[in-house]
Amino acid sequence: MNTKLLSLNEATRTVNSGSNKVTLLDDINLQVNEGEFISLMGPSGSGKSTLLNCIGMLDSFTGGGYTFLGEPVHSMKEKNRSKLYKEYIGFVFQAYHLIDELTVWENIETPLLYKSIKSSERKALVADMLDRFNIVGKKDLFPQQLSGGQQQLVGIARALIGKPKLILADEPTGNLNSKQSTEIMELFSQLNKDGVTIIQATHSEQNAAYGSRIINLLDGKIVEE
Amino acid sequence: MIINYIKIALRSLLKNKGYSFLNIFGLAIGITCASLIFLWVEDEVSFNTNFPNQDQVFYVPTNQNYEGEWRTFYSTPGPLAQDMLDDIPGIEKATRSNLQEILFAFGDNSITRRGRYVDEDFLDIFSLKFIEGNRENAFANPEAIVLTQETSEQLFGKGENAIGKVVKVSNKDNYLVTGVVEDLPKNVTFPFDWIAPFERYAEGEEWMTFYGNNFSDTFVKLASEANFETVDAQVRALIRKKEENTTDYAFLHSIKDWHLRSKFEGGEIVGGRITYVRLFTIIAFIILLIACINFMNLSTARSEKRANEVGVRKAMGSSRGRLITQFISESLILAFIAALVSALFLAVLLPQFNLIIEKDLTLGLGNPIHVLVLLTITIICGVFAGLYPAFYLSSFKPVQVLKGLKVTEGSASFIRKGLVVGQFTVSIVFIIFTILVYQQIQHAKNRDLGYDKDQLLSMRIDEDFIPKFDVIQQELIRTGSVQNATLCNSQLLSGGNNGSGFTWKGGTNTEDVLISFRNVTESFFETTGMEIIEGRGFNKNYEIDSTSVLISQSLAKMMGEENPIGNIINRGDGPLEVVGVVKDYVYGDMFDSSDPVLFMNYPPYARYMFIKTKDGVPVDRALSDIEAVLKTHNPAYPFEYTFVDEAFDAKFKNEQLVGELSQIFAILAILISCLGLFGLAAYTAEQRSKEIGVRKVLGASVSGIVKLLSKDFLKLVGISILISVPIAWYATYSWLQDYAYRIEINWIVFLVAGVLAVIIALATVSFQAIKAAIANPIKSLRTE
Repeated sequence: MNTKLLSLNEATRTVNSGSNKVTLLDDINLQVNEGEFISLMGPSGSGKSTLLNCIGMLDSFTGGGYTFLGEPVHSMKEKNRSKLYKEYIGFVFQAYHLIDELTVWENIETPLLYKSIKSSERKALVADMLDRFNIVGKKDLFPQQLSGGQQQLVGIARALIGKPKLILADEPTGNLNSKQSTEIMELFSQLNKDGVTIIQATHSEQNAAYGSRIINLLDGKIVEE
Repeated sequence: MIINYIKIALRSLLKNKGYSFLNIFGLAIGITCASLIFLWVEDEVSFNTNFPNQDQVFYVPTNQNYEGEWRTFYSTPGPLAQDMLDDIPGIEKATRSNLQEILFAFGDNSITRRGRYVDEDFLDIFSLKFIEGNRENAFANPEAIVLTQETSEQLFGKGENAIGKVVKVSNKDNYLVTGVVEDLPKNVTFPFDWIAPFERYAEGEEWMTFYGNNFSDTFVKLASEANFETVDAQVRALIRKKEENTTDYAFLHSIKDWHLRSKFEGGEIVGGRITYVRLFTIIAFIILLIACINFMNLSTARSEKRANEVGVRKAMGSSRGRLITQFISESLILAFIAALVSALFLAVLLPQFNLIIEKDLTLGLGNPIHVLVLLTITIICGVFAGLYPAFYLSSFKPVQVLKGLKVTEGSASFIRKGLVVGQFTVSIVFIIFTILVYQQIQHAKNRDLGYDKDQLLSMRIDEDFIPKFDVIQQELIRTGSVQNATLCNSQLLSGGNNGSGFTWKGGTNTEDVLISFRNVTESFFETTGMEIIEGRGFNKNYEIDSTSVLISQSLAKMMGEENPIGNIINRGDGPLEVVGVVKDYVYGDMFDSSDPVLFMNYPPYARYMFIKTKDGVPVDRALSDIEAVLKTHNPAYPFEYTFVDEAFDAKFKNEQLVGELSQIFAILAILISCLGLFGLAAYTAEQRSKEIGVRKVLGASVSGIVKLLSKDFLKLVGISILISVPIAWYATYSWLQDYAYRIEINWIVFLVAGVLAVIIALATVSFQAIKAAIANPIKSLRTE
């Protein structure tokens, strides 16, 4: 079942820094099928995060084509684009980026609010998720009361709650110790087996090895696959 | 969703207690202040609005020309009311009215009350409601008197039937109570405690029936179908039709304007209290604005903290609209909390405020209009204050903020600085205005009045007192507490009687000079401390000195260079010889030069006695000595008196009110601005903590860092000073134009206000600056 999830066709991203034009991503060609687990590797500044953000539609390519589930993202209006990623993409961040003022339960619930899902359904979904990640006991705690690993767990739960097809993870274990890292990577592995497509950016060879495919970036170009 | 917003707003409030306190407290002060002003304004505009016929009721003032200038008086000729009824079809009701203070006695009970001698139409014009008696019989008896409920209760006791009771007035005449009417509301401009038929007052006074003597108020009610313009034109033409050789004319002045628009210049309405109502309303909005500015400043200053949340929410799929809704709901929640706090403040402060403005305002939260206004203010504040931060914060790009990049502050920091400048500009203008208002009041209070107002008692007297005066004066002096005593026909400070049509030797066209008359005793000048600068005073025996007059300096000046002594003044009733000149004295408007005065040695017209107590005699002793003398000779009268210096202070009520309110607003504006500045300084210090750390490691001193952090804020205050000086100058200059006797605006005031603002700002900012400067640099540098 090798359905094509997304494809990049000579996608580029340039920014103007002063009078200089800086190319962050250069002619990226990439096909991602559903069910893949891709690890993006490369030194700092090679464009991993930019590529993730552009794929996640938080940022946009300045040139080339981007097709997501057969829809041409590059020619879409902001509103439709946001609808698309709200529906199909979940984000996991290195710094977790949980909202400090919300409890674990509420953090996980937030994406559902933006999808205007009914209260009773939200409750059921969040409860399932807490169950699945074994953090039912922590549902009323605030992020600061959790360890880094637990916070990232909540971050992943939040990314998954909207039942996305694609999870984008930017250095998901960058702030964690090795034991926590392993747990998180095991979790990703499991999720991937359950059918979720994952693209992660990472520095660690060890983590990259969890992926089914490793892409190396250097100076905004794919140098090796 | 809303619940989610409220939840996050409340948690964020609790988490950032200091910030929340600054925000809520600032906004609450603003709302409190605005509410107080709006309560005052509500009361001011409610005057005379509780009458069924308010659209048809008018005062009839007259414009009179003196020395080429139109001056407006409420006094009109006696026959005017009746002639209006007879000649002008649109006039349905008309009444004369003369305000008098008289002594009532019933049994052992005696009280002095102000009331009006009026024609019967008065009852209908003001739709008086009878509690006892009725409209038809009220004025049927020529000896009738109608009392207000309060007066009736004070005179006869509560629950006593008043009708048919006979009261003694001024210790000689009997009046028959024919009715009791409901007390008037407080917010009317024609208060009275009693009314009685005008005929009784006019009895035997034939001059009251002629044109040419202006002495009575005239009120009219127009027929409901009458056209105002037509009737007014007819009223304007009437006096000239009835009286030959006069330029005087009467006109209609609506009951709705009596309180707020009763300042006339050149015969036209030029304003009045409405100026203050408008001014304070503007001030209320300015204070709210300052409070809202605080809110915006503190919110955008905190943007760094909120940026992350914005990024996450956007990544989770939130649209910008939803974020804007969220931020505005947050500011609305804060505004509602602030409104609750301000309701508390109001409950505590209103009694104090009432003391200052001498009113009896109530919070009236049961009044739906009050609640609605408070709610509206709250919502407007919440939305207005939240709007800019909401648009600003929601504009963040998730990629940037989530990567931890610095938020580009550009516009926000510029606007924030502009807002701080705005706040301080307003504060400094208030400071300058307050100082100048007080200077102006002091200036007028300290001016040479031409008499000595201290230790001077004033008492109202009646006719039967005058023959006894000589004896009483002697006995008063004999007590050792009293320097001297005198009689006069008017209060020292008020305008009193005046007239024109005088001629004198060497003067041309003097008929239109308006001159005030004072009927006094020989002891008047010594008692009041007025100075006779030329000629002699009066003879103690007024009967042989009745054609002698003293004139004020300004009148002497009009008579020309030569010696005025011996000059003859004529006005119909025989020649008067000038025997002395008195230094000008200030009466009527304390901020203006007063009309010339003619003093006559004729005590029988006196209505007031003035008593000067001796230096060094305690007030209590003097009062009890005076009371003892008066009780023996004048037992029918209660011992009622006022101190002239207190009456003098009361003359400055309006200015005092403006001064005090301006002071309160100045303090509040500064307080709110400082709350904002304090918060801003805190965030700046926090934002720059890394920079401060690096500088310290590189060897910067604490004072150097404090200077570095304070400098930026002081620059803003400096700009505010530059902006506020011309505004404040213009505002005070315009205000002072209302006063003929006024201060020169001194630049020192601006300097003082500027220095004050700098000191206050410095004190506010330096606390944070010092805190940041003495912090251990290791802490701030360790984070990354």
